[in-house]
Amino acid sequence: MTPPQIPAEERLTNLVVALMSTDIGLTKQQILENVSGYRQRVEAGGKAEALEKMFERDKDDLRAMGVPIETIGDPTDPQDLREARYRIPQAEYDLPADIEFSDAELAVLRLAGSVWSSESVSADAQSGVRKIRALGIDGDEPIIGFAPRITVRDPAFPALQEGIERSRVVVFDYLKPGEEASTRRRMRPLALVEYEARWHVYGIDVDADGERTFLLSRIVSDVKVTGQTFDPALRDGAADRALAGLAAVAESQTALLEVTPGTEAALRLGRRAAPAPQGLRVPYVDRHIFADELATYGPEVRVVEPADLRDAVIDRLQAIVALHGGTEGAE
Amino acid sequence: MSAASAPLLAADRVRLYLTLVPYLLERGQVTLDEAAADFGVTPRQMRSMVEKLTVIGLPGDSGYWQLPQEMFDIDWDLLDEHDIIEITNDVALRRVPRFTAREAAALLAGLRMVAAVPAVADSGLVAGLIAKLSRGSADAPPDLVIAPVAVTEVHDVVSRALRDRVAVSFRYQAPDAEPTTRTVDPMQILITNGQWYLQGWCHLRKAMRTFHLDRVSDPRLTAIAITHTDAAVPAEFGQGAAAGHVTVRVPERLVPLLGAFPHEEVGREDGAVTLRISMADPRGIKRFAGRLGGALEVLDPPIARSTTRDWAAAGLDLYNLPGARSARLD
Repeated sequence: MTPPQIPAEERLTNLVVALMSTDIGLTKQQILENVSGYRQRVEAGGKAEALEKMFERDKDDLRAMGVPIETIGDPTDPQDLREARYRIPQAEYDLPADIEFSDAELAVLRLAGSVWSSESVSADAQSGVRKIRALGIDGDEPIIGFAPRITVRDPAFPALQEGIERSRVVVFDYLKPGEEASTRRRMRPLALVEYEARWHVYGIDVDADGERTFLLSRIVSDVKVTGQTFDPALRDGAADRALAGLAAVAESQTALLEVTPGTEAALRLGRRAAPAPQGLRVPYVDRHIFADELATYGPEVRVVEPADLRDAVIDRLQAIVALHGGTEGAE
Repeated sequence: MSAASAPLLAADRVRLYLTLVPYLLERGQVTLDEAAADFGVTPRQMRSMVEKLTVIGLPGDSGYWQLPQEMFDIDWDLLDEHDIIEITNDVALRRVPRFTAREAAALLAGLRMVAAVPAVADSGLVAGLIAKLSRGSADAPPDLVIAPVAVTEVHDVVSRALRDRVAVSFRYQAPDAEPTTRTVDPMQILITNGQWYLQGWCHLRKAMRTFHLDRVSDPRLTAIAITHTDAAVPAEFGQGAAAGHVTVRVPERLVPLLGAFPHEEVGREDGAVTLRISMADPRGIKRFAGRLGGALEVLDPPIARSTTRDWAAAGLDLYNLPGARSARLD
């Protein structure tokens, strides 16, 4: 006899209900024999080993959804899980009762949840908003007139996010501008920060044994999340350290620029500039990214110093001229 | 919502049940359409989810059969005849679960970003919400942070115009153009990549336009009530006017850097992609070419190509490089 087809979501939801309704916990055996979704397979003569594996997978899946499953082992031998009992402690599962949300707060959170253009992050935000709706909050009229958007186009983003969340070392190939070959990096990822419209991952470079910030757009391989874990406490305050670090770099590194008044360059660079006796002093974080921007201004800006930035801009302008240097484009 | 028609995975459905049950219990009776909209699924998917809820229940005590009161149940007549959902028996899942680390992280990052929006900043709710989301999260949410943007007087005046529903006037310096004075009925402020844009009805152009706030100066609130509230807000960076096109070639790996620029792919070979970019004035591409480190080649129209070359050559001239002249076609 083939086992009746009980969909996975039905089995998983039944498992949550069962583990929530017990104080002393259920043994694996009790679960397999009684919870709908497993018991039909047992009845149909399913192999014990396969069923136990299924239960282990289900437990992992539920934990990944944030469902806390407690394992109560043999008090005399905690390593022995043969007689372990499982339960979901209500206090850890429930949103604490003293956390309440007002209609005005829900309106703000709806706007906050609407900013993500990335589908997976957007879905996370929406499901968070739903939980507040489920508390019976309807929310004030939506805040209209503002459309904030966060774009995430870097393919490395989800894997790095997973590495941070699970406190796992990640591995990727990183290509620095101007270098021929990428290098393999191993890092303990601690935070993702968007700074000047670019996503950066901040963490500890395992090989260099120091804090580093990498641009996601320069990651040229898939990001591999390894099995190697690290202390989640390293994450505390990481984003603030990352932002402070980037701001410190910008503060210590400025370019002296001459700009033509009244132009786009004067306008855009002027907003970020510190007053200088001649021209503008503009702080920047990354020479290559800043050189890209400066090259867009063509004759509206001249780099006085530093020399490496000046050379980088010249390289770009020369490349553009060379690429468009054929006669077919001339008037 | 874009997820509305996507197939639901088993994990999505479980997650949905954990929130749907307390949602329905809290609200009593909810129409199928409202629940579907709240959960980002189709009414059909919602109906099927609710119907299947009735096979969820407590484990059988010692045998296989569960008693009716050990199973979830709904008012079937109400659902079948009136498309209204009501749970009539519940066995667990009564309380709203904590936020997952990802849910909290997505909302926290969004909150930090919208904190600069005047309506939000004025509400004074952000700090309290950050604390609640952090405390209500099942695990410590991963840090996902958008660096805050300094809000200037220009942002402030434009936001006030939007709130008070009056036109705002300002000096606008578009690239490669003489500055103009504009009066605009504000419709929306778009904030993306750390930049603020005002979208609204321009009295001078008599059309919807998008203005980069970096190019705005001397903003003033007017006493003119806004009138063009029914005009459609332009697509993110639509130029409004009949757009021209530029054909460019870029290395495949750089295509994502084109970002929100409206473009379509027209060809692909040897690791290079040919794209058609919409642009009101094709000559505007000259500025864009630099952004990809000199790797973007303008193919067509010829005026865009020559303008791009001349622009870069004029930039090079500032540096008095030996031999630079020879690179330039006069």
